[in-house]
Amino acid sequence: MEEVELLKRRVDRERKARLQAEAILETKALELYKANEQLSLLNQNLEQQVKQGIEELQESEKRHRELIESVQDIIYKISPSGYFLFVNSVVQERLGYSENELIGQHFSTLVVPEFRQELIAFYRQMIEEKQQSTYKDFPALKKNGEVVWIGQTVRIIEQAGQITELVAVARDVTELKTTEDALRTTQTRLTTLITNLQKGVLVEDEYRRIILVNQLFCDLFGIPAPPDTLKGLDCSQSAEQSKHLFKNPEQFVARIEDLLLKREIVVEEELEMVDGRILQRDYIPIFLEGHYRGHLWKYADITEKHLIREQIRKSEEKYRGIMNNMELGLLEVDNDQRIVRAYDRFCKLVGYTQEELIGKLAPELLITREFEEVLNNNQALRPKGTASSYEMQILKKDGTPIWVIISGAPIMDEHGKVTGSMGIHYDITDRKVLEHELALAKQIAEDARQAEKQFLANMSHEIRTPLNAIIGMTHLLFDTRPTKQQFEFLEILKTSADFLHSLISDLLDMAKIEAGRIEVQNHPFDLVGLLRTTQRVFQIKLQNRPVELDMMIDARISGMYSGDDLMLNQILLNLIGNAEKFTEEGTIEITVKLKKEEENTLWIEFKISDTGIGIPANKLDEIFQKFKQVNANNHKHKGTGLGLAITKQLIDLQGGSISVKSREGEGTTFTFMLPFQKSDLDVVPDTFEIQKVSSDLLGCKVLVAEDNLMNQKYISSLLNKWDIDFVIASDGKKAVEKAQKQAFDIILMDIQMPNMDGYEATITIRNTKNPNQHTPIVALTASAMLDQKSKTKLVGMDDFITKPFAPNQLLGILKRYIKISNTDSNPQTSSNYTTQLDHTRLQEMYGDDKSYAADMFQTFLSNVLLEFPAIQDLILQNDWESLSKLAHKLKPTLGMVGLTKLELQLLEIETTAKENPKEEQLQKLWDDAQNSLNAAIPILQKELVQLQEPTQ
Amino acid sequence: MKGIVFTEFFEMVEEEFGYEMVDTLVETTVLPSGGIYTAVGTYDYNEIISLVANLSQRTQIPVPALLRAYGKYLFKSFTRIYNRFLQSPSDAFTFLGSIHNYIHVEVQKLYPDAELPHFDIERVDDNTLIMNYYSKRKMADFAHGLIEGTLLHFSENATITQQAIKEDGSHVQFVIVK
Repeated sequence: MEEVELLKRRVDRERKARLQAEAILETKALELYKANEQLSLLNQNLEQQVKQGIEELQESEKRHRELIESVQDIIYKISPSGYFLFVNSVVQERLGYSENELIGQHFSTLVVPEFRQELIAFYRQMIEEKQQSTYKDFPALKKNGEVVWIGQTVRIIEQAGQITELVAVARDVTELKTTEDALRTTQTRLTTLITNLQKGVLVEDEYRRIILVNQLFCDLFGIPAPPDTLKGLDCSQSAEQSKHLFKNPEQFVARIEDLLLKREIVVEEELEMVDGRILQRDYIPIFLEGHYRGHLWKYADITEKHLIREQIRKSEEKYRGIMNNMELGLLEVDNDQRIVRAYDRFCKLVGYTQEELIGKLAPELLITREFEEVLNNNQALRPKGTASSYEMQILKKDGTPIWVIISGAPIMDEHGKVTGSMGIHYDITDRKVLEHELALAKQIAEDARQAEKQFLANMSHEIRTPLNAIIGMTHLLFDTRPTKQQFEFLEILKTSADFLHSLISDLLDMAKIEAGRIEVQNHPFDLVGLLRTTQRVFQIKLQNRPVELDMMIDARISGMYSGDDLMLNQILLNLIGNAEKFTEEGTIEITVKLKKEEENTLWIEFKISDTGIGIPANKLDEIFQKFKQVNANNHKHKGTGLGLAITKQLIDLQGGSISVKSREGEGTTFTFMLPFQKSDLDVVPDTFEIQKVSSDLLGCKVLVAEDNLMNQKYISSLLNKWDIDFVIASDGKKAVEKAQKQAFDIILMDIQMPNMDGYEATITIRNTKNPNQHTPIVALTASAMLDQKSKTKLVGMDDFITKPFAPNQLLGILKRYIKISNTDSNPQTSSNYTTQLDHTRLQEMYGDDKSYAADMFQTFLSNVLLEFPAIQDLILQNDWESLSKLAHKLKPTLGMVGLTKLELQLLEIETTAKENPKEEQLQKLWDDAQNSLNAAIPILQKELVQLQEPTQ
Repeated sequence: MKGIVFTEFFEMVEEEFGYEMVDTLVETTVLPSGGIYTAVGTYDYNEIISLVANLSQRTQIPVPALLRAYGKYLFKSFTRIYNRFLQSPSDAFTFLGSIHNYIHVEVQKLYPDAELPHFDIERVDDNTLIMNYYSKRKMADFAHGLIEGTLLHFSENATITQQAIKEDGSHVQFVIVK
């Protein structure tokens, strides 16, 4: 029961507790519901607020972004270690990098390398010291490599005391920087300029305090203090203090006050100082934005300039005076030849007034058509800045032409541009007339000279030819056993003819020498032989006279010498002849000495002393002059008066010298010195001795071409006397005909002949195929003109002999030339081939060594011959250089086989190709050469066979 | 005082002494609530003091021992009911350390009218924890029991020294040494 009660109570308690709990839960549920309601509302509210907040945030962010984007500055954030965290888009425009390219990069990569270290240090310090904001400018590199100056403000951003990032606003300050630099440079430059200016400068502010003054200013005004210490000093009394330096002190002070009052620029005022110097003053007020801020004084010492200007002014006045009084007409034209200015004198010259001339075209008004070109050619030089002088005719107003010499020069403006020209005209009409007359006179003189020359040439032929016959005939008459009386007559005849001959020879020689037609020959001769012959000739002459002739020859002189023996002979004959002429009794002494021995030259001195009448001291200077005979009135000593002049000329020509010493009544000594070369040749028999004909000449054949019958006879007699076979041809044409028919050993060729002269005949013989193509031809020339002699060589003659000639002269020639062809061991074969092969050369080269010669011929035929066709190729290719070289190379091989003519043809090809190559001409030369070569081949082959035959 | 303290107290009394003792205590103790408790309700704390004093008198077991025993019992109940609070701490000291800053904070949120004691906790070293207990209720013995329950739950052995700093028991220091 007790237990039931207990349980009842327990259940009751439990039920009550449950109800209580339910009630609590009910209350709590309601509270919960209400709380939920409120929460829901709250939530809605919150959502609204959040949404609104987000919107506001977005709006604000957008505004910020727009702000950042819209600024013209680069805004960026970097980490404290310097890496870009954010960059605005302006960077693209400013530096060319995109935002993405920069994020993550280190800022220093954008900095010009030399500035990196400094900049990094700067910002490291900023971070260390936590400076809130800094400004720095530096040069940065754009993406395209350009450099821009960046000025940036950097701010640090801190969170909880830690620097999290740095924000920078960067701006392109290049322009600013450039301007700043330029300004600084300008400022420095200006200051330096003013300080160092060669002018005294003083700058004062509006209260007349010194801002800047330079050393030169202090010097000018005698201020002892250094310029720097004057800065800031008051200048208001300075004029008063310095006025004593000026000539007009009161005026100086008053003027300064006036200038300061007016504040207007005044330049180049000149001030005279007490000490004589001249100063030039500039006053320049300084205004800044319309406000007066001071002024600048500039003083320049122009004393020198002033003096020079004074001088110039005076000299200008002087020259103007001179110009006006001179006979020079000045004319200025512009580039179109339009007259700009005509000076008084020019107006007078042409008879126009200044007004009539100005503005006119000068060529139209003053020039005849004839001289337009002269003017234009000269005026064309002016634009190039070149001056020139020329002569031409201009027309006066009245139409009369006058001759003027014009000196034209370009006129330039201050920039050096040619604006026209100035012509100085000088009237030379009178001179021109004179010139014209002079030219006329000259022409007359020239004609006269020409006539004289012609006359001399004619003389040469017309007088010498008969004279030759007279002398020649006289020689022959001596051989006809004359009676004693006849012998005497012949002697007189001979002496007179000889004198006449020498007289004409002298005249002609002088003419030749003066015309420069004498050539110094150089061939070997026996000097001692020549001297001894001369000695003997005069000894014979002096027989029966009380005059002794001695000759002493230096023992060192012997053998053959190379030089002009004919000239030497003439000189000796003249000088010894003179001595003989003027010496009545006593001695003539000839001394020959070897004076000097140089490398190749021997100087030999000849001294001819006599005991004759002597020469007066006052005439000594004249004796070598033409036509100056010391004793012209003495008929006994008649002469041309040319002997000594010719002698001197001949010595000069050879490079020698002559001097004379004399004492009147005691005697005269002529000394001359001549250069010779030593010759290796042996002495040949003296041609001046009368010779017997050697057996060598017997059996040889001579062709004589001579139209003059007397000469024909003279030569015939001589040749007959020597038993030499000959044929006479009475003109050139006949001579050629005869030469074509048979071979001769020598041809004697007169020059002046009818039908065909000696030159033409020689050319024909030398250049046509005939047996005498290589026969020696010796000219017989009556003309003493040396130019004719040189012509003989040119046409292919071997030598010449001047008519009249002595018998042994002719003999010498015959021996010299015939001897050569006779050296050939086999005359029969030789005569067959002489025309084609140069046996003289072959003999020289090979002598008797036939096998050597055979080798050479063999080589030529089998090897060298193959090289010739290349010449044709080179001509077609116009390769002149190679052609010249090939011809040069092949040329000597032709000489080696005796083809002398072909050798010369190749030489012509060589020189033509080198100097003046023309295809047509070279082709012709080669065609000729080729023909000759083709013709020569069988001859060479035949010669080779002969050479290979065993010697008999 | 939360209703659970009363309901669990009656559970423990019923377990130890039978429902008769529960009935006796309800019948013989002056209780404004009439001895009817639900875990979700809130009741005057003096009623539990009266009930404990009544039990002590009837069982001759001193009040502090009863409170300690009840604390120990209650923690066990808590481990059953509020298991979620006990899952993350790995040891007793960690759990005890989190009482004031975590558990009491959460309890206050759930029961705004709850009057909770204040704890200052000092971790001297790995093996020593000092807990200072402050409460007007002066129920340090009950706390002692709860600490013992805690150690039991984490199967840890430690000596708990309880020393009243204030004589009235409003500030008591526990030194727990493992």
